[in-house]
Amino acid sequence: MLKVLAWMDRGVGEVLKPVVFAGMIGLTGVITLQIVSRVFFTSVGWTEEVARFLLIWITFLGAALAFQQGRHIAVALLRDSLPLTLRRIVSGAGIVVTFTFLVTLAVIGWRYMNMQSYQKSPSLRLSMTYIYAVMPLASAIMAGLSLIDLIRLLAGQAPRETRTELNE
Amino acid sequence: MSLVLAGLFVVFLVMGIPVAIVIGAASMTALNLSGVPLMVVPQQMFSGINSFAFVAVPMFILAGDIMAQGEISKRLVAFADSMFGFIKGGLSIVSVLAGMFFAAISGSGAATTAAVGASLVPELKRKGYDPAAAASLIAASGTIGVVIPPSVPMIIYAVIAQESVAKLFLNGFIPGVAMGIGLIAIALVQGHRRAYPRGTPFNLSTIWRTLLSASWGLMAPLLILGGIFSGVFTPSEAAVVAVNYAIIVSLFIYRDLTLKGLYQIMMRAGVTTAVIMFVIASSSVLSWALSSWQVPSAIAEYALSLSSNPYVLLLLIMALILVTGVFLETASALIILTPMLLPLAMQLGIDTVHFGIIIVVGLAIGMVTPPVAINLFVASTTANLPIERITKAVFPYLMALIFVYLMIAFVPLVL
Repeated sequence: MLKVLAWMDRGVGEVLKPVVFAGMIGLTGVITLQIVSRVFFTSVGWTEEVARFLLIWITFLGAALAFQQGRHIAVALLRDSLPLTLRRIVSGAGIVVTFTFLVTLAVIGWRYMNMQSYQKSPSLRLSMTYIYAVMPLASAIMAGLSLIDLIRLLAGQAPRETRTELNE
Repeated sequence: MSLVLAGLFVVFLVMGIPVAIVIGAASMTALNLSGVPLMVVPQQMFSGINSFAFVAVPMFILAGDIMAQGEISKRLVAFADSMFGFIKGGLSIVSVLAGMFFAAISGSGAATTAAVGASLVPELKRKGYDPAAAASLIAASGTIGVVIPPSVPMIIYAVIAQESVAKLFLNGFIPGVAMGIGLIAIALVQGHRRAYPRGTPFNLSTIWRTLLSASWGLMAPLLILGGIFSGVFTPSEAAVVAVNYAIIVSLFIYRDLTLKGLYQIMMRAGVTTAVIMFVIASSSVLSWALSSWQVPSAIAEYALSLSSNPYVLLLLIMALILVTGVFLETASALIILTPMLLPLAMQLGIDTVHFGIIIVVGLAIGMVTPPVAINLFVASTTANLPIERITKAVFPYLMALIFVYLMIAFVPLVL
């Protein structure tokens, strides 16, 4: 069971990495196109819009990847100075708060997406459903990851390790 | 209701919950209790990050990350060393100058610390510098990374305060240089006392040689800042030009970057961006809640009832910024503080751009004050030293930065 969870956890990271990379390449490419077209030809109107939407996607899916890698910034000083049992209780409570928030965010994000589904983006005429869909998607992924954290904690395992660019 | 929000915020924060989730969960609970429909949460989260100016955030992070690894930063360091290495303890000056050079390429303090640290820490250790003092100086120089343009926090401030990013960038130069001079002064005194060795002897032909060898790196700030200030590029476009430039130089000229390495760097820069932007998104909900409960005007009213002396109030504001910077990381502190303090600052007659510099420099100093001190953390990892030792050694530099901070705040010089 715990092995399956660890495998799923890593899998989420492996799937998200190329997605975030693609977003960054796309962002670089679309603004490069904007500059080149403005300097040498006539400016294209849709590049700013695409760039903003790509940034929104990178933000949410990158946040999910950051969650998997334990890279979100937290003030862990006080919690980590507690004695072991108390620390585990506080950590568990923290995960429950996190999980509740993310599930709520996924639900209201889903409702918001449906509410705005008739909207089209001004320049590309793209349905806004595609842009707003990223919030329920990423929130659900992060909620799932925090559930894995909770199960691991209850099973007496060590918390998620931070993997920064410096020790990777 | 704002008390409920503040209480939840502090409790969630000390529980060690990620800051973005602390801010989101506390705001959502308080809004729900006060009967506001929760649809405002996704609405504010999206509109908070849906700005073209923010495209510069991932791009400046990426450009800095590419240039931080390998040849570009090594050659910059060699050039600075050829100019100042001959002075006693000159390698300390080199650390600060390299930090300032790098600040003109990168938009973040952590990237600046990492870049300078990776190329200088081994050298400093080899030459017998106290490793903790050296690492702490590099961490302190890293704060200049967000003051000399480009700067991610200045972009965030500009979007919230509806100011021009280019104007903030322009006004970052002098404060950044002043911080550098302050740090160099302390480093020189220490170098003298501890009888640090001299490095590369002063020699014009060495300077010329290292200048040529570093020219690709030195051209990057000219391209980025020249493009912005001449009005050829918007800041977001200039950031993308910097990314393309860094990729071309590293892949084809210095050839120290593989495609696989580029994939890693881009993916990591994407995650770094997301960490900052996710905080911005959830903080937008918080600042919407605060302004709908009219907290900013209440704060301004309260502050003005405390004292009518604008200098006293400015000192109070600065103390608040510094204390917030100690406990929060830069992006979230910026998004919470700016809308709360800007109305008060404007009533005191402080220019919006000048106030941006005050808030960014204050929060930059927070990057070397534990518990939330990203630069100390990066420096301790790069130098392989426990963070406590670096924290002790950073104290004199911290004093120098605070002294410069007072000067920056009380001399309202806006270009």
